[in-house]
Amino acid sequence: MTTAVDPVVAADPAAPVIRRRGRPWLAVLPPLLVGVAGLLLWEAVVTVGRVAPYVLPAPSAIGEQFWQSREVVWRTGLASGENALIGLLVGAAVGLLAAMVAARFAYLGEVSIPVAAALNALPIIALAPILNNMFDSTSSVPRRLVVAIVVFFPVFVNALRGLREVDPIHRDLMASYAASGWTVTRLVRLPAALPFVFTGLRQASSLAVIAAVVAEYFGGLQNGLGSRITSAAANTAYPRAWAFVVGACVLGLVFYLVALLLERLVMPWRRV
Amino acid sequence: MTSVVLESVSKVFNAGRADEVTALTGVDLTVERGEFVTLIGPSGCGKSTLLRLVGDLIQPSTGTVTVAGKPAHTARADQEYGIAFQQAGLFEWRTVQRNVELPLELRGTGKRERRDRAREMLELVGLGDFAGHYPAQLSGGMQQRVAIARALAVHPPLLLMDEPFGALDEMTRERLQDELLRICASTGTSTIFVTHSIPEAVYLSDRVVVMSARPGRITEVVPIDLGPRGEATRQSPGFFTGITKVRRALRGDAVPAGATS
Repeated sequence: MTTAVDPVVAADPAAPVIRRRGRPWLAVLPPLLVGVAGLLLWEAVVTVGRVAPYVLPAPSAIGEQFWQSREVVWRTGLASGENALIGLLVGAAVGLLAAMVAARFAYLGEVSIPVAAALNALPIIALAPILNNMFDSTSSVPRRLVVAIVVFFPVFVNALRGLREVDPIHRDLMASYAASGWTVTRLVRLPAALPFVFTGLRQASSLAVIAAVVAEYFGGLQNGLGSRITSAAANTAYPRAWAFVVGACVLGLVFYLVALLLERLVMPWRRV
Repeated sequence: MTSVVLESVSKVFNAGRADEVTALTGVDLTVERGEFVTLIGPSGCGKSTLLRLVGDLIQPSTGTVTVAGKPAHTARADQEYGIAFQQAGLFEWRTVQRNVELPLELRGTGKRERRDRAREMLELVGLGDFAGHYPAQLSGGMQQRVAIARALAVHPPLLLMDEPFGALDEMTRERLQDELLRICASTGTSTIFVTHSIPEAVYLSDRVVVMSARPGRITEVVPIDLGPRGEATRQSPGFFTGITKVRRALRGDAVPAGATS
């Protein structure tokens, strides 16, 4: 019958096809060029315009400081990264579970979305000093807790939206299979919600690093990037402060890229 | 043996409210085992509602629905029917194979048997080579065939189809009609099929149930006797006579005495 059918020809031309591989540098090159050009312009403005270092240090000065302090950047970056990662995992897990419960019981869902949206509008980072005082000064818990709370909301709100949107045909089908409740959650709601969950996780991954770094500005254990930024700035060592900001930037980027990679690995059907 | 029996069934949506709608009233219908019955009628005549009542996706306001000798609710719990809709409704995160396996999975069928059965069904609809593909890689017609394979996977004695070919082009549609008839004949499946198309209804059915709207009800049942279908059937005088009969019934004209079979 269709044994001789060529899958590529037979498949709908409008359907997404396997993306062309090879020459990935073509995609990377333009943004890289723009980035380098931006740095050169920055350097030129600072040098030619004689901008004071405390206003804006030159990228070369920041780079120099970054290289000199690379070991400290690495060590503090690891500490901040660990806080961000643990907080992210805890916050995302709790957010996802809460969304599953809220989606399972319609009334909970109706009630929780406006509450979550309102709480999300609060500057959660402002909780940091309060949390710092709740635990002793050698504890990493307050920073991780701040991260977890910050992460919770984007994951919860996005996951809940995804979990609640079930294709009516899928609902009828599952009813015809006499499947209900948690079976539907596991087999239909959860996989259908994955794109939403990952949208939340991508937002959360960057927020997690920001929260982990900034939480240190308000005291508590001082072994991460945040404490170095504040102390360098307090000592008027602006290029060094900037070097640590660059470190935080790289850390945030790593988190974001890992989330992106995970998204592609977990949802192979989206790549076809 | 009867496959489906509806006795004085009615369905009222939003009963007792300002937007109350009588979707169906006074429906009596019997589908024999192995019979192919098509429901046809204008939009809003309740043909989809009727199909959903048989599938126990909604419950009747009055009357009883019996499927495979049991109440519709029990029949659904026992997966006595397979269902397909106008949209294929495949699960995009599952491969074609795993989509067909899903109803078996929910029945607790073993892994090995599941795989074999899904293979068999995919061969039946001519998609054996596409088991490992994701739905997004298939055309609309191929997706619809996967949906039919999925509906047949548990070997249900009854197949419910709600305009399954409605969104397809004419050529694909005719090919799938032939495939469906072949599958139903080889598996002995009874079928209730909803459509808007008069030729499709006549070509597929043993009986065409003509319905009208406001309130939705059965106005006439047109028996069709064309023998085994094939390419020639679509050109045969009997086919066109059938079309005329159904068209007249839809208009509500009195059928001339000589034309009744």
